[in-house]
Amino acid sequence: MIMLVTGGSGCGKSTWAEKLVSSLPRENRIYIATMQVYDDESVQRVARHRAQRADKGFTTIECEKNLAAADIPEGSIVLLEDLVNLMANEMFDGGDVERIIPALHELAKKCRHLVMVTNDVFSDGISYAESTREYLRQMAKINAGAAEIADCVVEVVYSIPVCVKGALPCV
Amino acid sequence: MKLYIGGVYQGQEERAREENPGGEFYPDFHETIRRAVLEEKQDAREFAKEFCEKHPHAIVIANEVGAGVVPMAREDRAFREAVGRALCVIAQQAESVTRCVCGIGVRIK
Repeated sequence: MIMLVTGGSGCGKSTWAEKLVSSLPRENRIYIATMQVYDDESVQRVARHRAQRADKGFTTIECEKNLAAADIPEGSIVLLEDLVNLMANEMFDGGDVERIIPALHELAKKCRHLVMVTNDVFSDGISYAESTREYLRQMAKINAGAAEIADCVVEVVYSIPVCVKGALPCV
Repeated sequence: MKLYIGGVYQGQEERAREENPGGEFYPDFHETIRRAVLEEKQDAREFAKEFCEKHPHAIVIANEVGAGVVPMAREDRAFREAVGRALCVIAQQAESVTRCVCGIGVRIK
């Protein structure tokens, strides 16, 4: 099963994605962490996510960029969190945005189950400068690419899962 | 308890009032959360839990505020986060959650 989980900030998408993975077999669970830790806010965020998944048997693999290089064993159950950080790191930290979608395809082939988390950053109605607009365009492309390979796409709305594609799994 | 949400001006308040005549309404609840968490420094989840205990029949109406580019100002980020955390608690407690888009209510719970 390949899943894409989206939603706004603080909507509970991580919690829901982790709950989903918890309903899958316990062996070979891998958490791919993409966030760069650079200030106290991100330190807190990482600590909160770590505490949330502490008892769920994940092996954490840090991957800020170049997903294809992450060493993921065949048959793993992977929670990838999240595409927005991965994309921002590729775009603003000397990476390559174009390699994300092919890497997702490869990862999807390798995994027994893949749950990708992304973020809805598109609905605030603000006109941004061109650099931010370009970031949004690229991010939208990556979300659409991820949705294309996903069996199921879910938007989490304040903890409630709303199915956008496929059938909602029971969690 | 019922929760009505939506983007700005999506008709959540009108729908809530229409569907619940005489109800105990809490409109613009995102602003209530802002005051509680950013000004009074309460924990978002604790605030929401306490609110649910005190007002089990509340009709809560709020804007969805989390679906944009991460704001530059720390306070704006904290606001979005607080609204998210608090409304997750309220959505879990609520017997129904209705999301309004273009004035149309979609019952998501």
